[in-house]
Amino acid sequence: MSKGVGEGVVATGGEESRPGRLSEALVRLARLWEETCRHAGELALLLWQTVVHLVRGRVPLRSILDEMHWMGVQSLPLVIITALLSGVVTSQQGGYQFTSSIPLYVLGSVVTTSVVLELGPVLTAVVLIGRVGARITAEFGTMKVSEQIDALHSLGRDPVRVLAAPRIIAGVLTVPALVAIADLVGIFAGMVAAQATSGLGPEAFFYGARLYWHNWNIVYSMMKAVTFGLAIPLIASHMGFRIRGGAEGVGRGTTTSVMFMTLAILILDALFPPLFLN
Amino acid sequence: MSSMVEYRGVYKAFDAPVLAGVELEVRRGETLAVIGPSGTGKSVLLKTTIGLITPDRGDVLVAGESVVFGGAAALQRVRRKVGYVFQNAALFDSMTVFENVSQGIAEEELRRIGRRELLDRVASALEHVNLDPGAVLGKLPAELSGGMRKRVGLARAIIGRPEILLYDEPVTGLDPVNSAVVHRMIARLASELDVTSILVTHDIDGALGISDRVALLDSGRIQFVGTPTELRQSELPLARAFLDRDQVGEDLSAIMGTAGSVPTAV
Repeated sequence: MSKGVGEGVVATGGEESRPGRLSEALVRLARLWEETCRHAGELALLLWQTVVHLVRGRVPLRSILDEMHWMGVQSLPLVIITALLSGVVTSQQGGYQFTSSIPLYVLGSVVTTSVVLELGPVLTAVVLIGRVGARITAEFGTMKVSEQIDALHSLGRDPVRVLAAPRIIAGVLTVPALVAIADLVGIFAGMVAAQATSGLGPEAFFYGARLYWHNWNIVYSMMKAVTFGLAIPLIASHMGFRIRGGAEGVGRGTTTSVMFMTLAILILDALFPPLFLN
Repeated sequence: MSSMVEYRGVYKAFDAPVLAGVELEVRRGETLAVIGPSGTGKSVLLKTTIGLITPDRGDVLVAGESVVFGGAAALQRVRRKVGYVFQNAALFDSMTVFENVSQGIAEEELRRIGRRELLDRVASALEHVNLDPGAVLGKLPAELSGGMRKRVGLARAIIGRPEILLYDEPVTGLDPVNSAVVHRMIARLASELDVTSILVTHDIDGALGISDRVALLDSGRIQFVGTPTELRQSELPLARAFLDRDQVGEDLSAIMGTAGSVPTAV
């Protein structure tokens, strides 16, 4: 008897828990969707407000220049080191994989194309996520939890205009310059590495590079740079303004922001070839 | 005496209701202290005054303008009339004292006035709060003591010549001597600048010493409004608990036991 009752309970519980779990999963999915929509809406609003302030000429020029110096000049050493290493590694690995059936000068094309189309923009963006994006989020988050953002509001200053807009504009203007430098450094480093490891001289390297070169590659690289230069400070600012809850909140928010920025760069990067390389 | 700030049925909930229909009128030129247990929404109420927090229901009128329904332009006008002193001063970390205090001046005015006038006004605001401009102008907030930071925050609030000053826990974290200094300063500024002051505080002695009226906020509503003398004579248990220091622990326990749950802290 008691066994029967027990079985009945288990069976009922099992039947009830399945729809329960399903509805719980649906609720979680709905919340995720709601949160995603909220992020998208707030990002769009932040971008719109930045454009409006820019068009009205209300973004402090001095702040834009300060941010450009900080994002550009001060990021340069790290960007150059990253580009150097990426060019060297691409050249060495390309040379290693080539057999006698493929002329070695093709290495010039492989290195140049890889650096300009992919490595230059993406690795520069990854460097900037850590150096620029994380700092923006942490800075705005700290300002938020210490009521400095509220203080700006109380003083009649719009935080988007005085804090976010200069950084977003500086990102759009600075990242293309950094990517152009990264492209050049990467190609140069690849050329040197090709000579050192595969015995491919500069002339043959550039012969190979020219053979499969399209001028569109530069436009493509710059388009990526502008997109990443917009995405990083935009997401970083948005995430910074959303931070709540003291030092722990700032730490958590910054980590989430870095994750979102990295994901965004990789997704945008994946969208570029089907859209612009056909 | 006409009213300067009116809270009309202000309701605000976060996870739980914090303000549950606050009705309060602050008269022109008076100093009103808002007291109450921690987590009862005193700071939330203060923030609704200049739209830093928007009420879920109700309205706040400042000098006749609706903060909630007046739109962005009205809110901007209201903010120009108000100086807000934040709990931890909320000075901008990357700016010097001079730059911080300058931010208290409206941007259009800041563009209009010359460097000399700006320097004079910043120096004058700092002198008003008993700070030596020569000693602090070039310093960063991190180089100042807690009391000095509060006074710089106060200088930033008054430099724009506000009609209303809002103080959010102005003496929190200060020793009794510095607390007394800040309280005297609040009283002096109220008379010298002829401003309406709203003061949110836990320091009952200080609040009673400088305010014209006291409002007691608890369970999301104003439970008592009156002069300090009326508060002292009040038989309201919460008022007694606040006034009678020796009994404060027991009385608060008794009140919480009889009055039910205290709203969640924000």
